[in-house]
Amino acid sequence: MAAKAISSPVPVDWYPTLAVVMVAVGLMFTASFFIYEATSSRRNRSLAKEIATATIASVFLGFGSLFVLLASGVYV
Amino acid sequence: MATPPPLRRVAALLLLLVAAASTPTARADLVVTRADRKVDLTSHIVRVLTSLKVENSGPEAVSQFLLAFPNVQAKNLAAIRAFGTEEKVKGPSMVLPIEVVQPSGVPPELTFFSASLSKPLEKGKTLHLDVLTVFTHSVQPFPEEITQAESQLVVYQDSAQYLSPYPVKVQTLSIRLPGGRVESYTKYPNTKLAESELKYGPYEDLPPFSYSPMVVHYENNNPFAVAKEVIREIEISHWGNVQITEHYNIAHGGAKLKGEFSRIDYQSRPYIRGVSSFRHLIARLPPRAHSIYYRDEIGNISTSHLWSDSKKTQLEVEPRFPLFGGWQTTFTIGYGLPLQDFVFNSDGKRFLNITFGSPVEEILIEKLIVKVVLPEGSKDIDISVPFPTKQEQEVKYSHLDISGRPVVVLEKLDVIPEHNLYFQVYYRFNNISLLREPMMLITGFFLLFMACIVYMRTDMSISKNSPSYLAKVQWDEVQSIIQQIQAIFNQCLAAHDKLETSLHELSRSGDVKSCKVARKTADAQFKELAKELKPLLTSLQSSSQSYQIWPKVEELVAKERELQDKLMTRHSTVVDSFEKKLRGQDVENRIAAQQQKVAALRQEVESLLEYISEI
Repeated sequence: MAAKAISSPVPVDWYPTLAVVMVAVGLMFTASFFIYEATSSRRNRSLAKEIATATIASVFLGFGSLFVLLASGVYV
Repeated sequence: MATPPPLRRVAALLLLLVAAASTPTARADLVVTRADRKVDLTSHIVRVLTSLKVENSGPEAVSQFLLAFPNVQAKNLAAIRAFGTEEKVKGPSMVLPIEVVQPSGVPPELTFFSASLSKPLEKGKTLHLDVLTVFTHSVQPFPEEITQAESQLVVYQDSAQYLSPYPVKVQTLSIRLPGGRVESYTKYPNTKLAESELKYGPYEDLPPFSYSPMVVHYENNNPFAVAKEVIREIEISHWGNVQITEHYNIAHGGAKLKGEFSRIDYQSRPYIRGVSSFRHLIARLPPRAHSIYYRDEIGNISTSHLWSDSKKTQLEVEPRFPLFGGWQTTFTIGYGLPLQDFVFNSDGKRFLNITFGSPVEEILIEKLIVKVVLPEGSKDIDISVPFPTKQEQEVKYSHLDISGRPVVVLEKLDVIPEHNLYFQVYYRFNNISLLREPMMLITGFFLLFMACIVYMRTDMSISKNSPSYLAKVQWDEVQSIIQQIQAIFNQCLAAHDKLETSLHELSRSGDVKSCKVARKTADAQFKELAKELKPLLTSLQSSSQSYQIWPKVEELVAKERELQDKLMTRHSTVVDSFEKKLRGQDVENRIAAQQQKVAALRQEVESLLEYISEI
């Protein structure tokens, strides 16, 4: 049976773009999270909203930092 | 000139061989009708290509052919390969498997290799056999120490006659020298030195185990690059890269430098004062190699050059200093290769297919350690190497690893460029494991956010009943009430806007009914909001911290109520006018005054809201 070449799940050329976009989006969500933490008063802060923002922000920051590593040549 | 010391050893061997030749052997069935040997002495790795024409003169078919080497040569043998072609010279050649054998009745000073023929050689048939043998450490510098200005002279010894357990009818030997001076060579009948080629023969009808030592003493200034140890690490990342890092410890294996080294002499006339040294090495990297670096312990070495085309990438590295005999240096080369060129999938198993040896040209590696670092989560590791190696496994911890990456370690002594063959490492790997690293990063960030949430929610004060703490708690309460009030007023304003748009709709379409419906819903909403607002206002009023803000809130409530009233009256007026079918001009006149008031009130309410939110 013929051997098939294996390539990366995401084209390597996309890594820098993906890194910039995902980190930017992640930082935006992080900012909104901290703005919410700082402005809402302790009594009417909603845990669900906090966790939702934190989850989205961490997913974007997580993948973003992975692509930053890959784009800079640190192949994890 | 003195006789090189190894000659004496050879003479002793010769005596033994003469004794051996007289012992009858049962291998006389085969006759080598022609043996041509070509010895390449241009570098420090000696390559001997022996072309043999073998005939079976006995009655029985023969299925193996014996190759004999004196032990002194056999211990330096780095590679041996045999290719067989039957009958025609230009037929398809087969690689013959070779193994070490110890036939009975042969002198112990010889090592025998047996090449198994693909099919037995019948009586009277002829076989063409090409045997490539590669020897290391066979070219000895003589003298062993030279000064900077001297050329390097080396000695090579072999037999002028082909050493074989079979009788040889016709044979020749031709030795290719690197050019330059030839100090001396053993002279036999039929010996000829022309240009840089030394020829012995043809000799005819020699019995088995014929051996006549020959020595050639000649000039060889080609780089004697000998690596004491090379560690080659191949790290696979399924994110699209095969990273190769090679650590070299290279020495000049030729004649040692005697006396001192003069940099001025070297710099002014490098090809005279330093002819035996070498200053650069060439590495042929695979095509599409990227991120290439060349460094050592103290940092980047800037003296390197790189050329690349679609077939190869050529890297020329220049160590920090020229290497003279006995000098050594260490450095590291690293480069990345695209994953799809080297890793493949077959039957659900993945495998790495890459060359074994170092990409540096004409280098002898005394100890090569190849480490294949597989991605974390690889299982069922299987190795297939075309020659024997020492194998073991270890675990490496690298970026973002939890359980570590499995590492296959292959170790081989005396590796020459002929060992640059492809080898395979098979393993199983699930693509889901690729998500381990991002998941780890995500978890890390998420924990950071969680820590923030927890910090914002914990009460860190020590004394729970100090006046300042109580004031803070009350103030928090006031703040939360105010935020709720704000939300209610914002809803109110939104409802106002809705009413306004319904009026616009009315003036456009004249649909009185929908306008009335909008009015009704707004009324209901206002009632609801007023109900919600009431308890908040009372609690705010009762709070001791609200003395500052309370008047403003009161004012806000009053203004809003007034605004609401005005809006309602205006709304009724307009709807009324539409029902009475008054002209547009009249309607405008009737509400003009109200319009102004509404706008002014709205502005006041908004500024109050803003003021409150800023507290």
